[in-house]
Amino acid sequence: MVNYGGDEVSALVIDIGTSSLRAGYAGDDTPKAIIPSSYGYHPAAPEADVTMSENAEQAEPGNKFAQIFIGQNGPSVWRAGMEIGNPLADGMIQDFNPIKPLIDHALSKVMRCNPSEHPILVTEPTWNTPYNRERMAEIMFEEFNVPAFYIANTGVLNAFAAGRGSALVIDVGEAMASVTPVVDGFVLRKGLAYSPLPKLVHAHARHLLVSPTTQRRGIDLIPYQLIANKLPVDPGALPNFALRQDRIAGTTDSWRAWAQAREVDEWVQTIAGVLDQGWNDQLAAQRPVRQYEFPTGYNMYFGSERYQVGEQFFYHSPQLASNANLPKSIPALITEALRACDPELRQVLMGNVVLTGGGSQFSGFADRLSTELTRSFPHVRLTKIHAPGNPIERRYGAWLGGSILASLGTFHQLWISREEWQEHGKAIVGQRCK
Amino acid sequence: MAASAADIRSALSIPEASATAGPSQPKKPALTNTRKPEGISRELYSLIGPSAPSLAAQLIKPRLKQKPNFGGGTSKTRWELRPFKNSGRRDNLELQHWEKVTTDPATEYSFAKYNVQPTTYSYSQDEYTRFLEDKDWTKEETDYLFSVVQDFDLRWYIISDRYDYPDGPSRHMDDLKDRYYSVCRKLVRNRPWAGDELSKSQLMASFQFDKERELMRKKYILSLENRTPDQIAEEEALYVEVKRLEHTERKFKRDRENLLRTLAGIDSGLPDIVEDDGSILGLSSESPSNIGSNKKKSQRKSGLAMDADSPATPSVASTPVIKRPQNLKNAAYDAQHCIIRTDVPASGIATKAAHQPAYLRTFKIPVMKTAVQQKVQEAVAELGLSSSRLVMPTRENVAQLDAMLEAMLALLETKRLVEKAEYDIQVLKKRLGLREQSTADGEGSILGIEGGESTHVDYAPKGGDIVDETPGENGRSQSVLSVRSARSRKHPRRSLSISSVDTVSTRAGTKRQKRS
Repeated sequence: MVNYGGDEVSALVIDIGTSSLRAGYAGDDTPKAIIPSSYGYHPAAPEADVTMSENAEQAEPGNKFAQIFIGQNGPSVWRAGMEIGNPLADGMIQDFNPIKPLIDHALSKVMRCNPSEHPILVTEPTWNTPYNRERMAEIMFEEFNVPAFYIANTGVLNAFAAGRGSALVIDVGEAMASVTPVVDGFVLRKGLAYSPLPKLVHAHARHLLVSPTTQRRGIDLIPYQLIANKLPVDPGALPNFALRQDRIAGTTDSWRAWAQAREVDEWVQTIAGVLDQGWNDQLAAQRPVRQYEFPTGYNMYFGSERYQVGEQFFYHSPQLASNANLPKSIPALITEALRACDPELRQVLMGNVVLTGGGSQFSGFADRLSTELTRSFPHVRLTKIHAPGNPIERRYGAWLGGSILASLGTFHQLWISREEWQEHGKAIVGQRCK
Repeated sequence: MAASAADIRSALSIPEASATAGPSQPKKPALTNTRKPEGISRELYSLIGPSAPSLAAQLIKPRLKQKPNFGGGTSKTRWELRPFKNSGRRDNLELQHWEKVTTDPATEYSFAKYNVQPTTYSYSQDEYTRFLEDKDWTKEETDYLFSVVQDFDLRWYIISDRYDYPDGPSRHMDDLKDRYYSVCRKLVRNRPWAGDELSKSQLMASFQFDKERELMRKKYILSLENRTPDQIAEEEALYVEVKRLEHTERKFKRDRENLLRTLAGIDSGLPDIVEDDGSILGLSSESPSNIGSNKKKSQRKSGLAMDADSPATPSVASTPVIKRPQNLKNAAYDAQHCIIRTDVPASGIATKAAHQPAYLRTFKIPVMKTAVQQKVQEAVAELGLSSSRLVMPTRENVAQLDAMLEAMLALLETKRLVEKAEYDIQVLKKRLGLREQSTADGEGSILGIEGGESTHVDYAPKGGDIVDETPGENGRSQSVLSVRSARSRKHPRRSLSISSVDTVSTRAGTKRQKRS
């Protein structure tokens, strides 16, 4: 046991991302509980007297939720009048109300463990605010009664998951893309660069789908939950389907937006890609076309447009780039991060690039990234990109790093204990978790 | 129920075996010593005793293969969930982990030993005012710096990243390092030192920090990064060029050595070809991107050009160096065995002087210029010697011949001068006579007389030479042979063979003469 420095104290690791919340035991290689971060809820109205459905968890009094629906059967199940919310914005927790039910669901309902018996390690993005981490500590100590708590940085944990103490972590998530220089297990905060680039890619894909082209009409993004029946049709032909008219009235705007976003994501994850050598009309046209069928039954062959989506990660057209609010592309983020670092460090960091996050599983992303790196940084002799081939490791890199960290024998002196929390209060979080 | 022997005895009222030990009774101690084999009932065994092993083997039950023992012969390891305390913590947090039951619960947590704190320096107000004043730094900021350094265990990249002193000037990493190390140096220097001087100086050396040099180094790294693609491509091209030059240089050298070896033969004592690793051009195998900045590049360029102009050949330089000490060492040996070594001539083309193979001394007999050769031969013939070849070209003979030819040349030169002077006198005399005549006849016939004179002078020796050529040959070789045989009578056989060689070489000599 001592050989690899592990000493398991049955700690729990919780990694909250925009798309999903991951929880599991430290020392495992895969999180035990993966639930969507989005949740459905019925807003609490003064006159509301809603009957309890099976999956609903009774929200605490004083909350804005009358009912909250969490987990795999949470937002994805259509319920009349159900709104969809997500506690995270820009990768950071903005709304702490649903955090407790979410974590509770993952720990109690999915993992069936008692959080008061386990030390808990929680992750945070590098740009997290001191208020947020203190609030998280408060939730853990006051509401879950954990014996010990620690909050660790996702950038550092991703580097640890790749087995590196120093790395340039390129994390492309659901909402944010970030480039974080990590040295000796510490983030260089001045070198951090991040932008809501995945949102732009998503918006671009959505725009591509819904706007009509010369070959096809705009596509209706209607989720399965609203379709009563459909008939198979030829590619490009008008879809032949019937809506569930009984549900239309009860569908809220937020649920519809969430469902449509899911349809776009499905399409992107299934057939979108990026050319590995930069945009080239001819090359894009040469790539094979791929068929995709939407829930309405409408299906179509997609050719070069599926490569336009990925291009947004790396290159913005000049008319787009004139917009000052445009999120920075990946090469721009890397350049920005490296510029803030010491010149001596740049070689080290470029030799240890860690690619992680679910968004980085975009088809062809890693190849294109290596092309961009050699093109943009020709003076760097050896750029080595560490991108785990295992999708679980790629998506839940931060959780995996947390799992490694919290099972190390030498780590156990860093936990913030309940005693310390009571003695020092919130200040201990900033002191301990540097 | 089978009855035991004791039961039978008691039933038959036979006294106890131990009480009356008859000779027919089996001995009890022996019975207890031997263990009962398995598969045979105790009662039967006590009846038949240990004297029936074959019976026992038949009665033993067949058993399955024994289960493998994975535990290495030990019993099951017991683990238990135990709370433990970490001595690295200042609070009473008790975490639980699984431990072997056998381990002592009182032992210290095994990972606590990795919690090592680096030695930190602190200073009093008094020390600060006495040694550490700096116009750029306040005491508060220095305190802050030391606390940050302690927080991050001297990880300077992180210290400079997190360093944020309110209302202080922005500090670069090298500023922080400079301040920290200078304070440490001053503290070590001014405090009483308990240990010896060596350890103190070592500690001082570990706090050495040269800010200017660091900044310079970083500047170089930056300039290396800021090269344009063109510059990088140029460097790459230059690097390839250098490699190519090195390659051709090596190839040339190898070819030349091979050629020399072929010409001179295997046993010519040629040293083995030394493959040099390209260090002559001052370039190791580092990649071009290692060598940075335009300045360096231009230096490299000029160095390259210089080297290309003067292709140094290490073997040339090294060969005499190897030979000379040998000469000195073997001087006595040489004298004893009449070995005479010749130095490699310093003149000549350097690349060809690399090696001098063994040669016959006849090849080194000085050859006269064709213009004077015939005259020399004439003169030698006058002395009654054959001038064509030396039959016995020992070192002394060659030297003598050399000296003779030298003298001959000098003689001929003198003779030529004398003749010229005589001729001039003659001409002048004739002119004088003619002038005296011309006072009577006129000046018309002077030229004709002069031309006739000159052709006569020139022609006479030429014709004589051609006539002399063939008969002189035989006579000369005979005369030389006679001289030689007179000199080396002790080795008749060898001299005979030499004479045969000599005739061949003489023929070659005649050919050469004819050709000229």
